[in-house]
Amino acid sequence: MEQTERTSVGQPEQRIDAVEKAAGKVKFTDDYQAPGMLHAKLVTSTEAHAYLQSVETAAAWKVPGVRAIITGETFPFHIGPILADRPPLAYEKVRYIGEPVAIIVADSDYQAKQAASKVVVTYKKLPIVHNVQQAFEASAPVIHNDLGEYTKIIGNVYPVAGTNIASRIKIRKGDFGTAWKNCTETISETYSFNLSDHVALETRSARVEINPAGKVIVHACTQSPFTIKKVFNQFFNLDVGSVIVHIPMVGGAFGGKGTVQLEPLAYLASKAVGGRLVKLTLSREEDMTTAPCRIGFDATIKLGVDHNGKLLAGQYTFLIDSGAYSDQAAGITRAAALDCTGPYHIPNVWCDSYCMYTNHPFATSFRGYGHPELTFAVERTMDKLAKNLNMCPIELREINTILPGHTSPTQAVITKNNIGDAQKCIALAKERIAWEEGERLVGENGKVRAKGLSLFWKTSTTATNAQAGAILTFEADGKVNLNCAAIELGQGTKTVLGQIVAEKLKMKLEDIHVTMEVNTQSDPHQWRTVASSTTFLAGRAVYAAAENAIGQLKKTASTVLQCAEEDLEVGGGRVYLKPDPTFGVEIKELALGYKFPNGHSIGGQIVGVGKHIQRHLTPMDKNTGFGKPGPWWSVGVQAVEVEIDERDFTYKILKAVTVLDGGTIINPMTATQQMRGGMYMGLSYAAIEKFVFDHNEEVENNDLRQYGTLRYGEQPEQYTVDFIETPAADGPYGARGIGEYGVIGAPAALANSLSNALQVELNELPLVPEYLWKMKKERRQ
Amino acid sequence: MIAFDFEYYEATTLKEAKELYEKAQAMDKKVMYYNGGTEFITFARKGKAYAEVVINIKNIPDCNLLEVRDGTLLIGASVTLNAIVNAGFYPLLEDVVKRIADHTSRNKITIGGNLNSQLMYKEAILPLLLADAKLEIFGEEGIRYVPVQEVFNKKRTLKQGELLVTIQVATENLQLPSTFIKRTKMSKVGYPVVSAAAIIKEEQFRIAFSGVCASPFRSAAIEKILNASDLQIDQRIEKALREIPGKIVEDVNGSSAYRQFLLTQVMEDMYRGLEVGK
Repeated sequence: MEQTERTSVGQPEQRIDAVEKAAGKVKFTDDYQAPGMLHAKLVTSTEAHAYLQSVETAAAWKVPGVRAIITGETFPFHIGPILADRPPLAYEKVRYIGEPVAIIVADSDYQAKQAASKVVVTYKKLPIVHNVQQAFEASAPVIHNDLGEYTKIIGNVYPVAGTNIASRIKIRKGDFGTAWKNCTETISETYSFNLSDHVALETRSARVEINPAGKVIVHACTQSPFTIKKVFNQFFNLDVGSVIVHIPMVGGAFGGKGTVQLEPLAYLASKAVGGRLVKLTLSREEDMTTAPCRIGFDATIKLGVDHNGKLLAGQYTFLIDSGAYSDQAAGITRAAALDCTGPYHIPNVWCDSYCMYTNHPFATSFRGYGHPELTFAVERTMDKLAKNLNMCPIELREINTILPGHTSPTQAVITKNNIGDAQKCIALAKERIAWEEGERLVGENGKVRAKGLSLFWKTSTTATNAQAGAILTFEADGKVNLNCAAIELGQGTKTVLGQIVAEKLKMKLEDIHVTMEVNTQSDPHQWRTVASSTTFLAGRAVYAAAENAIGQLKKTASTVLQCAEEDLEVGGGRVYLKPDPTFGVEIKELALGYKFPNGHSIGGQIVGVGKHIQRHLTPMDKNTGFGKPGPWWSVGVQAVEVEIDERDFTYKILKAVTVLDGGTIINPMTATQQMRGGMYMGLSYAAIEKFVFDHNEEVENNDLRQYGTLRYGEQPEQYTVDFIETPAADGPYGARGIGEYGVIGAPAALANSLSNALQVELNELPLVPEYLWKMKKERRQ
Repeated sequence: MIAFDFEYYEATTLKEAKELYEKAQAMDKKVMYYNGGTEFITFARKGKAYAEVVINIKNIPDCNLLEVRDGTLLIGASVTLNAIVNAGFYPLLEDVVKRIADHTSRNKITIGGNLNSQLMYKEAILPLLLADAKLEIFGEEGIRYVPVQEVFNKKRTLKQGELLVTIQVATENLQLPSTFIKRTKMSKVGYPVVSAAAIIKEEQFRIAFSGVCASPFRSAAIEKILNASDLQIDQRIEKALREIPGKIVEDVNGSSAYRQFLLTQVMEDMYRGLEVGK
C-alpha cells in the first residue's frame, strides 16, 4: 500500500473512548434498567457428576414475584461452538459444580435469587473424573455417553465415542521415529497447569426480549454477536434476521466472552414470560465457575538435536482439561497442535493433542488460545536442553529459529510476509534485559537477580471464511461516520480502525465518528472480535470502505471540477487537482451530493462500503494436520528479571521486556499498553492464578477474596516494550494483529528466570513462594 | 445483592441497642449487631450470614471513642481501621491493621468488626493480646471489663447479646519495642499464611500469631521457651514449634508444612527485628 508520509497511522493518538471511560459514564450491559424488566437467576448444580433425579420447584413458586421457572426439559438439545455437546440447562445429568440447572424469572433480582435458593434438586451421584490423566484411562467414568452422536458444528473436531476424548488432533510432519534415533542429545519433560479464570472486571450479562412482531432483541457483553444469531437460528429455529444483537462497550473479555452461554438462557427465560424483557447477570462467583474458564494443560515434550544443537525431532503430547464441555477447548486443542513447536524449525514433528472431558467447570478461549501454555512447555524445555548441551539458552534458540522458507508443523510455508523477524526480536530483547551482564547474579543485599527469556509465536486460527465489513457515511459538514461490528473490549480497536480511515482519507482522527456500540442489524457481518484478528480483518474492511468512498468523491468531483477522476486526490477535507492542489472542492460540498448554483444536484450521498475475507486458509488434514490454518505468525521475545530472596522464596519482578514483530504498528501508545497489559496478565497467571478444587471438584477459591491476581503496584518496576515493524504485505498499512501476543511468553519467561535463580526446574504453575520452597526442598533431599 | 429481607435499626445509645436486641430476641428473631458491614454484606450475599434483625451500632458515641484518658487508650469498637492508622496512638496496632484487606475496605472495616469476624484471622487482636488489653463489654448486666484473652480465646467470642464498646490499652504498653511480620500466599494484600506480632516488655519477649491455627493465639508456654536464655535461638524456635496450641491450618492459602516453615522464619525475623536473644 502507499508509502507516503502518514499523519494518523503510526501516531500515538489518544483513545477515542478515553474521556467517556475516565468520566465513568459508559453504560455497560448490566447498567441498563427499564420499568417492567424482569430478572433471571440461575439455580446451579452442587454436584460435579450426577443424574438429575428431580428438580422440585414448588417452594420456589411461593416466593412473591416469581413469573417463571425453567428446567432442562424445556430445551433438551445440545449446543456448542465446535461440538454441540452442552445443553444450555442441564438435562438428565449434571457434569460440573456450578452448571445451570434451572432459571428463575421474577420481578426483581432479589426475588429471583430467593426463589433460586428454594429449588430442591435431587441428584444420584456418579463417579467423578478429577483430572485429565484419569479421564484418559480406559476405566474412567464416561462423562458424555452420547459423544458419538453429537453434531459437529465446524470441522476439525474428532471425538472418540465411549471415551472422555472430545477431540484428538494429530500432526505428522517428516519421519519422527527415524529422526529421533539419529539425535545425539534428547530431552523429555512434563508440565502441568490447572484451570483458572479470566477475571474480567465486567461479569457476564445478557438481556433478551421478544417483541410482538417476533423479533428477538438481545443486548449482551459478547465478542461474538453474529454467533449469537447463528446459534439462535440453528437451535431455536429463528430467522437469522429476526435476531438483533446489540453490544455496548465491553468491560474486558480476554476470550471469555466469545462463548454463547447466557444469551440462549435469557432467551428461554424471555420466552417463558411471553417475550418480556429479561436480564440475566452473573455474580462474580457464577462468572468464575458457572461461565466458562481457562483450560488446564498437561504437556509432555520430547526434543532431539544433532551434535551442533540443531533440532531434528520434536514430539508433543497435550492433554487439555476442557472441563465438562468442549466449547472452545476443542479449538484450542487444534491451535496448540498446529503451533506446537514454537517458533523453531523442526523437520520432524509428531503431535497428539487431546481435548479431555473432566468434571471441572468448562473451559473456553483465553487470550493466547493455548499458546501461553504450549509456549511455557516449549520454552522451559529449550532452557533445560541448553543446559544439557552446555549452551547459552539464547544461542540454542538463535540457531533453531524459524525463517522464511521453512515450514510450520502443519507444513504451511513460512514466507517473509507471514512471519516476523525473530532474529531481530532476539537481538533487541537481549539488549533490553541486559543479558550480557549475566543470567544470575547475587546482589549486595544478598538476594539473587536472575533473568529468563521466552520466544513465542502464534497464528490465529480463524474460520477459513472469517471476514469483516465496514460502512462509512458522511455528514453534511464532510465528517465521517464509521460503522462496523468490531467490538470495543477495552483493547482500543475502535481507535485503531478510526486511525486507518483517517489515514486513508487524510483527515484528522477527531473528524471520524466511530460508532462504539455494535448493532447486528445495521453493521455489516463480522466473524467475531477474537483471535487478534480485528486490526487485520476489520482494518482491511475499513481501508476498503475508505477507498470506496474516495472513488465516489472523485467521481462527483470530476464532474464539478471538469476533469478526469485520475487527476484528483483526496485530503484535508477536500478533493483537489494533483498538479494544482489549490483547485478543488470541499468534501462537505460532495458529502450529501453536489448542488450546482442553478439547483441541479448530482452524485448523491457518499456511502463507503468495504469488506475483507481471509484468503487461502484451509482446514487441517485429519491424519497429518497438513493445512494452512492462519494468515500469519507474529513472532516475539519476552524476558523477565526477578529478584528473589532465597531464604523465604518471596520475589519481585524487576523488569519485563517485550519485543514483538507486529508488522506496522498503527498506534504505538495503545499497542505498548496492550503489551504491558498482556505481560501483566501472563505474569499474574504464572505467579498466582489457579482454581483450587476440593475432592468433590468444587472450586474452593471461587471469589476474589480467595482467587489471587497480581494487584496494582505489583507489576514489574520496569516494563519495556519495543516493536520490530516488518510490514505484512497483506495487512492494512502493513499491520498484523497483536492483541494476544503480550501474554504468550510471559509465563515461560518468569518460570525460566525463577528456575535460573533457584537452580531448580519449575514445571508447574502458579509460581507462588510455597511451590518454589517445595521444589527447592525436594531438590535438597 | 442480599436476597433475604431483614429489619434494619440504628441505635444511638447502648441502652437503645440493648432494647432493640432484646425485643427482637423476644420475638424469636435472629438478631445481629452491625458495625462496618463489610463482612455481613459480603457474607449475606453468599448465604454465609443471615439475620432477621440488624442493629447498627456505629452511631453510638461510646463506640466511636478514640482518645487517651487517664493513662489508657480507648478505642471504640466502631472506629475504622484507617482511623486507627491515622490517629497515631499505637504504632504496633497501626502496623497490623494497615495490612488488613485493602485501603478502600479499611475505610469501612471497624476494629470491633475485625475482632468479631467469622474468619479465622482477626489480626487486630494480636497487639491487644500482647498489651494485655481490656475490653469494655455491654451485656445483660450492663458494662463489664474483661481481659481480651478471656473473651477471644480459641473459638470463643462475645456472648449472645453482648456488644463490644471499647478496647482499653494502658499507655505504657503503646510504645514498646515491637515488630509485626505478615506472610501471605503471594500478594501484599491477602490473608496471612502466617502473621505474628511481638513486643519486648520488661526484657521479655511476647508474641502472638494469626493464620497458624483455627484462631489467633498468644501462648505462655511458647513465650517461656522463646525467653529461655540458656538455649540457642534455633533451639528455642524448634522447641516453641512443638508448643503450637492446635493443629496447623492447611487450606487454599498454604499447606501446614509450609506454614511451619514460615513460622520458623518469622520467629527468627522477630528476634532479629527486635534485636533480642543475642
